[in-house]
Amino acid sequence: MKLEPAIQPRPATRITSLLSGSRRKRGRQGLWLVPLLIAILIGIALALQTEQFLSRENLFNLVAQAMPLVITAIGQMFVVIVGGLDLSVGSTISFTTAILALDAPGYVLIPAVFVLAALIGLTNGLVITRFNVHPIIATLAMQYVILGFARMLRPVSGGTVPELVISSVAGSFLGIPMPVIWGVVVILIAWKLLYGSRFGLHLFAIGGGVASGAEDAARNFGIADRRNTVIAYVACSLFAGLAGVFLAGRIVSGDPNVGLLFELDAITAVAIGGTQLSGGIGSLHGTVIGALVLALLSNGMNLTNISPFVQTAIKGAILMFVVGLQSRKKMGL
Amino acid sequence: MINLIEMSNISKSFGGSRAVDGVSLELLPGTVHALMGENGAGKSTLMKILAGVHQPDSGQIFKNGHRISFNSPKKALEFGISTVFQELSLLANLTIAENMFLGREPLTRFGAVDYAGMNAQTADALAQLGLTLDPEALVSELSIAERQFVEIAHGIKADASIFILDEPTAALNAADVDVLNKHIRRLRDEGKAIVYISHRMEEIFEICDTVTVLKDGRRVDTRPVSEMSPASLIAMMVGRTLDDLFPPRATETGSVVVDVKHFKIDARSKPFSLHVSSGEIVALAGLEGQGQQKFLRSLIGKFRPFSGTVTIKGELLEMPVSETSGIRRLHAAGVGFVPEDRKEEGLFLGLSIADNIAISLVSERGEMSIARRYRDVINTTMASMRIKAEDASAPVSSLSGGNQQKVLLGRYLAANIDVLLIEEPTRGVDIGAKSEIYRLLREFAENGGAVLVLSRETIELIGLCDRLYVIHDNTVVAEMPAGNASEHIILEAALSA
Amino acid sequence: MNAALNHPILRRALSIPPSYFVFAMLLFVLWVARPHMLNLNIMGIFIRQIVPLGILVLGQLLVMRVRSIDLSGGGVILLVNYFISSGLFPGASLTFFIAIGLATGTAIGLFNGYMVARRRVSAVIVTLAVSIVLLGFVQFLSSGKPPGDVPAMFGEIYNTRWGPLPTPVLFWFALTGLMMIFLSRTVFGRYVASVGESAEAAHFAGVPVERTVILAHTLAGFIAAIAALVQTASIAVGSVRVGLDLPILAVAATILGGVVFGRGEGGVLGPFFGALSFALLFVVMTVFGIDEPGKLIAQGLIILLAAIFYGLRSGNAN
Repeated sequence: MKLEPAIQPRPATRITSLLSGSRRKRGRQGLWLVPLLIAILIGIALALQTEQFLSRENLFNLVAQAMPLVITAIGQMFVVIVGGLDLSVGSTISFTTAILALDAPGYVLIPAVFVLAALIGLTNGLVITRFNVHPIIATLAMQYVILGFARMLRPVSGGTVPELVISSVAGSFLGIPMPVIWGVVVILIAWKLLYGSRFGLHLFAIGGGVASGAEDAARNFGIADRRNTVIAYVACSLFAGLAGVFLAGRIVSGDPNVGLLFELDAITAVAIGGTQLSGGIGSLHGTVIGALVLALLSNGMNLTNISPFVQTAIKGAILMFVVGLQSRKKMGL
Repeated sequence: MINLIEMSNISKSFGGSRAVDGVSLELLPGTVHALMGENGAGKSTLMKILAGVHQPDSGQIFKNGHRISFNSPKKALEFGISTVFQELSLLANLTIAENMFLGREPLTRFGAVDYAGMNAQTADALAQLGLTLDPEALVSELSIAERQFVEIAHGIKADASIFILDEPTAALNAADVDVLNKHIRRLRDEGKAIVYISHRMEEIFEICDTVTVLKDGRRVDTRPVSEMSPASLIAMMVGRTLDDLFPPRATETGSVVVDVKHFKIDARSKPFSLHVSSGEIVALAGLEGQGQQKFLRSLIGKFRPFSGTVTIKGELLEMPVSETSGIRRLHAAGVGFVPEDRKEEGLFLGLSIADNIAISLVSERGEMSIARRYRDVINTTMASMRIKAEDASAPVSSLSGGNQQKVLLGRYLAANIDVLLIEEPTRGVDIGAKSEIYRLLREFAENGGAVLVLSRETIELIGLCDRLYVIHDNTVVAEMPAGNASEHIILEAALSA
Repeated sequence: MNAALNHPILRRALSIPPSYFVFAMLLFVLWVARPHMLNLNIMGIFIRQIVPLGILVLGQLLVMRVRSIDLSGGGVILLVNYFISSGLFPGASLTFFIAIGLATGTAIGLFNGYMVARRRVSAVIVTLAVSIVLLGFVQFLSSGKPPGDVPAMFGEIYNTRWGPLPTPVLFWFALTGLMMIFLSRTVFGRYVASVGESAEAAHFAGVPVERTVILAHTLAGFIAAIAALVQTASIAVGSVRVGLDLPILAVAATILGGVVFGRGEGGVLGPFFGALSFALLFVVMTVFGIDEPGKLIAQGLIILLAAIFYGLRSGNAN
């Protein structure tokens, strides 16, 4: 017999219990209303502070700036829901831009990018599920391996990416700016995966078991937990690859450092959006809102001329703060 | 009548000990079959085999005369066997409907999970049980009783014909028990077979048709309930004599060292008082999970009781005890706590015998002081406890269960400790090591130590201890000298309370 | 495969930290490829380059023994380097610089420990975030440009020798010896071993688990500050990029040395040889013309393979 410890590792503060998700019917989504309010507040503050903020140009820019983070964070959310974490997405993004800037036609490079991204995710997933390696260690190692490959292909930024990639993120289609179309398509794909398929439900089931310490709870229902976990990592890497394609189109070249620290922004965005790093609780819209909050902050800090170095420091502090708000029993990694 | 399920000659061992030994069981449609026995008699293991959680070492299972085998709860459910365990298996972050259909969700034409259909069917299944729960409610929001009903509904939905209810009423109040009994009768009237495990005598006689009694992993008998009385049932569950394992009891005891007054485990439980004197071994007896462990663990801060005062050697122990420093504070007061789970909570399996024994001495000192080797103490302890190992540097994981348990106990006997709080002193230990552990504990008491012990094995408590408190429903219901006690008396005291 | 892995001889071999094999292998490669490089004078110079790494490893192995991790070393090195090279404290003495450096590292380590042990925040997240905050902070203070020169006295000490070996190398060896004694002879060393083996059992045995983890992190911060002082002395100028890759290398060397999250089989010597292996690896890579990207890949693969190696082993034990 196991007793539930009467005393939690630390008393849940009001904020903690708020962030750990409402207890209402769809409480599995985590708390996303608070970040939404924060996003709106930041938006209002920025609109009052600076005139340019509400300009069509700046808003359009904002969406384009936020898009890589939105896409990466969505991918990250899939592995976080099963109780994992992927620190290799930043390198995957850099690697993707480096590939796209190779001297080869687009119809070769673009499929190659997704095949390679899927391979990265597959390796992560297999190492974690088959060889008992902690997700953080496996993906941290992978981060360095992929960064190495990216720098091998392209030591410094340069080259040009296929025209198709560039035109896919620039301009507009039927009057709608391309980045907005990207956003809608990506969110629809993620929506289908997470809420419109057995796969998504099974991810929540696996994560729910992991979070409660009963790792095989989902397996007892007949769910292929290892296979689904691997697929989650593949999805995460594919989304990172997609973000890389978008970024490559924006910067028109390959850059081995463009994804630096992106994994941490993605984790911050996921955590801000109310998704629990222990697994089982989270939502797509929360993640998108979380990414938008971070993008708004960046945009605001840029508009108010805050040094990019200070911005880095502030982002680190936010990461620590939002992850620190989530309570967990386990100590260590 | 043709049986629905037949378990034939089932055996299952864990490590060295036989949990179930050649048991056969027949379940007939339209009956409620009670499974009874003392703690550790093998009821739960037998049912976990039927539920697909464990696989039997030998023996067969037949359904409607056809041999079946399965290796997971999901496969068992496909054969129509549904289980409601004490520890619940529902996923708290999913809705009721999602839990009901997990692993076999209906899909819409577009490949999406058909939530509308799932919710409607779940609402139907819940309605059949007379429940008005929202199918979209998360399981984490449900009460324990509601979760159990959902598990039953899960079985109904899966068209199960056999329902295993493992102590379903342990966490329920009287009103919920009535509702549950109503559902059980309805299932029976529909021709299902129900296995019902419970310690509550009145429920057995109210709702069950047949009773099978297990003892030490073997089947004692299967009888119609109508032929039984509570007294004859208890007699069937006990029926064993004391072994010659135990050292003689204490002849005299010293002053009170542990004094507990007006202790309430939770807000609703009745307050109780108890005491332990130096030189005596005192037991917390009773059926499993009645609050013995909660009480003992509240002394080290692992459980937060409602109220009460605890005095140890005249010093008031502040309640609630801090979880982080509780053990260290007790340790400083000369009190050792020996946890039940030797492998998880007790020993450092990868470290040496010496390290495992010395840790209690080492942890009395500050971080930056020099760690002595305590060779003498370790050697003396190993010799006096007759720990069989090549030498003190052997890793504990290489020892047998009995020797591991002795190392764990040795840790406290080597330290400067005169009060021992012990959970399960001989779990998973062979008979020879058992008698040695009893001797060691008696020696400890004879040298002025005080021992408070809880165990699943009532017979061990009777033989080992001087005095017993019978605990039931989170309070002390009886106190008796061990010399006058028997399993029968204890069981009756617990069940009639 | 499982049966083969359980063979006694193989099991014995598996319990030897991989760093010994890797070190021997690299030594052999070097002996074949460039035999003339294998003398104490030349090797001393190469080893001197990884002394900051070697020192950082001493802290890393401490936190990894208690199942945590510290990736904040890069930030500590940057900050200490900034204090010394920016001219923020003009005319300060060597003692002052050492004192402020060590105090900084200790404070950061204490913060890490508090967040990990008391607040139960993921150690990776906390220490990475701390590193990023420090990076942004230092870059802001120095406007992204290298701050200035390091006072000459650092370089003077750094370049001294004792016989054939550079002083920093000897200093590292001495620290390693100190850590071995510290872990094997003090009560704290026993606490570390017990928490690493099982935090649950340690708690029930009366070990102050949280305090042990906090202290391990605090010491790791202190040791990171020592590494920062040596690193600063070695490059002799201020920098806003120095040492950022050291924490991950330290993790790699520690894992290679047989210390993996609680398992302390490599002791202190395993990770010590892990760090030495990296010194040789860099030499070998340079010899074969493999540049920075190749090194990144090698680091990553080493962590990955070592983690798989231990994962397989623990999977077998279950």
